[in-house]
Amino acid sequence: MGQLIAAPVPSQSFRPQSLILGLAILGLLVLVAYPMLWLILGALGVPADFTLDNFERAFTRTQNYAALANTLYLGLGTGLLSMVFGVPLAWAVARSDMPGRQIIHLLVALSYITPPYLTALAYIILLGPDAGLTNRLLRDVFGFSSGPLNIFSMNGVIFVIGIHVFAFTYFLTHSALKSIDKSLEESAQMLGAKRWQTTLRINLPLVAPAITGGVLLSVIDSLASFGPQAIIGMPAQIVFLPTRIYATISSYPPRWGEASALSLVLVAMTIIGLGLQRFFLERRSYVTIGGKGVRSQTIRLGGWRWALLGFCALVVAMSAVAPIGVLTLTAFSKDWIAPLSLSNLTLAHFGSALFSDQMAARGIYNSFRLAAGAAFVAMAVGAAIAYLDLRTTLRGRIFLDYLAMLPLGLPGTVMAVGVLLAFIRQPIAVYGTIWILLIAYSARFIPLATRSVSATLRQIDASLEEAGRITGASWLQSMRRILVPMARPGLLVAFLLVFIPAFSELSATILLYTGGTETIAIAIYRLNDLGQIEVVCALAVFTIAVVLVLSALVHFLSRDRTLPSEGVG
Amino acid sequence: MTIDRRWMLVAGSAALALSATARCGLAQAAAPADAGKIDIARAKTEGRVTLYTSLDTQIVDTIIAPFRKKYGIEVTYFRAGSAEVTGKVLAEADAGRPQADMVDASDLAGLFLMKERGLLRPFESAARGLLPASQRDPDATWIVDRLTQGVLQYNVAEFGAAPPQHWADLGRREMAGRVSFWSASNGDGAPRIVTLAQHFGWDLVKSIAKTKPLRTVSPQTMAQLVERRERGVGLLQNDNIAWRSKLQGNGTDFLFPSEGVPSEVGACGLLKASTRPHAAALFHEWWMSAEGQAFLSKGGKYSPRTDVAPPENSLPITKMKLLEQDYPTYKRDRAKILDQMADVFGGEWGN
Repeated sequence: MGQLIAAPVPSQSFRPQSLILGLAILGLLVLVAYPMLWLILGALGVPADFTLDNFERAFTRTQNYAALANTLYLGLGTGLLSMVFGVPLAWAVARSDMPGRQIIHLLVALSYITPPYLTALAYIILLGPDAGLTNRLLRDVFGFSSGPLNIFSMNGVIFVIGIHVFAFTYFLTHSALKSIDKSLEESAQMLGAKRWQTTLRINLPLVAPAITGGVLLSVIDSLASFGPQAIIGMPAQIVFLPTRIYATISSYPPRWGEASALSLVLVAMTIIGLGLQRFFLERRSYVTIGGKGVRSQTIRLGGWRWALLGFCALVVAMSAVAPIGVLTLTAFSKDWIAPLSLSNLTLAHFGSALFSDQMAARGIYNSFRLAAGAAFVAMAVGAAIAYLDLRTTLRGRIFLDYLAMLPLGLPGTVMAVGVLLAFIRQPIAVYGTIWILLIAYSARFIPLATRSVSATLRQIDASLEEAGRITGASWLQSMRRILVPMARPGLLVAFLLVFIPAFSELSATILLYTGGTETIAIAIYRLNDLGQIEVVCALAVFTIAVVLVLSALVHFLSRDRTLPSEGVG
Repeated sequence: MTIDRRWMLVAGSAALALSATARCGLAQAAAPADAGKIDIARAKTEGRVTLYTSLDTQIVDTIIAPFRKKYGIEVTYFRAGSAEVTGKVLAEADAGRPQADMVDASDLAGLFLMKERGLLRPFESAARGLLPASQRDPDATWIVDRLTQGVLQYNVAEFGAAPPQHWADLGRREMAGRVSFWSASNGDGAPRIVTLAQHFGWDLVKSIAKTKPLRTVSPQTMAQLVERRERGVGLLQNDNIAWRSKLQGNGTDFLFPSEGVPSEVGACGLLKASTRPHAAALFHEWWMSAEGQAFLSKGGKYSPRTDVAPPENSLPITKMKLLEQDYPTYKRDRAKILDQMADVFGGEWGN
């Protein structure tokens, strides 16, 4: 792919180019660097006074240590679960002859796109210690006197987050397994290795970096997963760093400095995690690429394929089918505790969720416009950063690329503290308006847009733009008539990749919204606080439906995306 | 030329800043001092009110709708628990970006703090004369707008004809795993638990904590737990929530233990920095009027106004033994109290 990238075009030649790219750089600095700067300043007590007291308070209070220990334990637990679920499923789908592989793959994708706070709500309905549907069933069948399962526990939090984040390990491992050349295994088998020896000595070392990378990504994502930590951890009396930060600010008087200092602890944990993840994933380069193209070998399991299917079906049932199923059933039930029957079905909760409830209706409207706005801003800034990185020799472009990737692993709560501290004051005082949410969403999801556009630009030969320029087109004309039309499907994918998570974003929104700027996630969170579980479920089903349709669109566009460079010498 | 442009920029900014300050100053200078000085035409011109409230949205919506219809003034609101509402008002004030025109919270200590920081504007409500002196600020910066009693809610099927009758019953060994209580992570459920401790001792609270009660974030979610029998009893449930749950036939009932129930006062006030003082005052008066308070009563809340009936089929407040909360002490010792709550119950209390 490297040869497809043309020689850099000097960036100083055209003023529109300088202006547009300059604005994008400014946008990136304002969206990402400025809030991060304020996060550090806030921890240092600025603007009131310069002090290290906040760090002292953050590092000396036992509550904060408990939160830190719980967060680390959560990371370890979800990392382990991610490996236990992700690796066998990836192997089964990528390499075995297990039936239903495509369905399992799609259901893992479905569990990934379902916002984890919705999974948490679903599991309260399913695994509440006494009234949970599963517990009631187990008691009826086995005669237990109480329980036996309790979602309100550390294991419950690990389970709910684990069945969401295992998708990272699954997808990375699946991709690595798919790229192992069949000839390597054939060679081992010709030398007398048995199948299990081939798996252990050839396959496993080859995909180990992908597994480690996936597990670390799962850990990082679970550290930031505010929704389940709050929804399940709170009744379980377990405090995590994101919920601690939220409580520090939402109590009175709000302790900004302590929240900033705690946020920096999370930032440090994330940076270490991302650094390790990058280290392990970069080791993939020695893996497998053969000259003849990749041909993976399908392993025939005989009767064992049914046992494997049973395990995979159980995992996707827990991660996708059961939570989405129970949310849907509750949304359509007059009384969700009563048995399923035609007389118990209703559409009334959807009426309340979509039309009657003021906050919910406002939330849906705000979520659509915020997600669209953030997707547009992130796509525009991300495209400019990707262009600068791949098509210019601008000094410092690597720094810009890193900066654009920085929010990738930052918890939304941390991002929100930085955004709040930065934009509550002059010169850009937009706190209390919808603009602060637009800024937070754009900043959080810029990495997705940047990476997506970058992948698209790598597929478009720069010589096409050069040809246009040689024949007299200006920079703007070559952009408008050559690059943008060719990159359009990729740009649309970037737009949707930002739109989808922005539509259901909770962890940053919870600290930044105010009256009138509620989103669908806030409506779900707040209405759940108010005990309106059926309306909450109707909103959840609506959210999942929107996310599902858009994800299908992304899949369709990505699959059918034309690869313009392929036809060009 | 460059200097001229810079000068113009500086002059322009200064003019804008002065104009904004003047506008703010004028708004505050023209703010009505009492109900009789509200200029309705001006309120309509101001056109909008932002309310920060801890009241249930279902009740808030019923109060706002007729006001909007009557005056054509839009009311937007931010709804959260009392501590979060207070925290938000204080945070915005710290940053010089106040958003609310009126605040209502059921933690009087929060309003004390707002008053102490000079955030509330004195305003003599027409309802003032209908409330006891203890339920209004002598400086008129806040006025009590509702009373909430912490009752004992229980699932009827769980206990049949013999539900627990007293707070001490909830600390008995056989109640292990059957009790729930509520408080968000910022500790907004703490005041009523502290009131119980102040009247009957911390040992009572510790004995209840030993039953490993399940914590929820709000009275509404606690009602849900009791209704679906996740837990048999709700400790210190809001009487209006327990009342509504019973009325809806959700299999619950509630009682007022004879030794007394903590009574929590909700209060409201107008923000000094509001740029819509007439619209805000007009809404404040609607909120405190007999008509506005009747909506509260319909939602199961007790009004402090003597001319508003209690909720349907409810005991008059005069027939209850109320345990009053010591808000000045709570405000002073809040940090220590929240630490104590964390020690007794564990979990996050915002301390």
